[in-house]
Amino acid sequence: MTVPISAIAGLSSVTSVAPTQSVAETAGTASTSGAGFANVLSGIDNLQQLQSTTNDLAVKAVTGDLDDVHDYTIAAAESSTALELTAAVRNKAVEAFNEIMRMQA
Amino acid sequence: MTIFGAIGIASTGLTVHRKWLDAVSDNLANVSTVRPTSEAAFRQKYVVAQEITGGDGGVQVAGVLEGSAEGRLVYEPTNPLADEEGYVRYPDIDMSSQMTQLIMAQRGYQANAAVVDRAKETYQAALQIGRN
Repeated sequence: MTVPISAIAGLSSVTSVAPTQSVAETAGTASTSGAGFANVLSGIDNLQQLQSTTNDLAVKAVTGDLDDVHDYTIAAAESSTALELTAAVRNKAVEAFNEIMRMQA
Repeated sequence: MTIFGAIGIASTGLTVHRKWLDAVSDNLANVSTVRPTSEAAFRQKYVVAQEITGGDGGVQVAGVLEGSAEGRLVYEPTNPLADEEGYVRYPDIDMSSQMTQLIMAQRGYQANAAVVDRAKETYQAALQIGRN
């Protein structure tokens, strides 16, 4: 019965799609067209979405409405990783800003 | 949600194995459920898994098949449910097959949980790139 669980096809498609997208977005940001900051804001929207999903599942867990335990733990893991990613991006941006501000005299 | 693709796929595997565990648990709980011969026996449940086509992929439960309603007739004249000839109907559940499926479902669940852990570690390793 475990034989049909072969996610290899799905995995290969994911790995082939994700890098090309992110590379394209980075190229768009580097062109200083002004669209880059909007992308950052939509990323924060996604983070907000993940956090509220986690909160909903946490409420379900304590009220006994949770069907799958792993739904909550996975949502928590995803939102914390997404938060770390956002923080990493923020830190890099601030670091770059400070570096530019030091470029005087 | 392609950013956490591996975690999403493993999550579908976790759900399917949880449902399989539920089915095995139901079968084992009803292994001694006696019915009179005039009624159908408890029907063993089989979870049918199916791959998800499109999107990130993964696996889902296509449906639940049920085993034979005939069961097996056992001579138990003292049982209050016995018919005039003294027979009752037991479900035809193979205990050793159920225990084997229990192990497969448990190990499959654990394997998918391990994938979630490893994927999270991998994504966090990506966050360390360029730090310091």
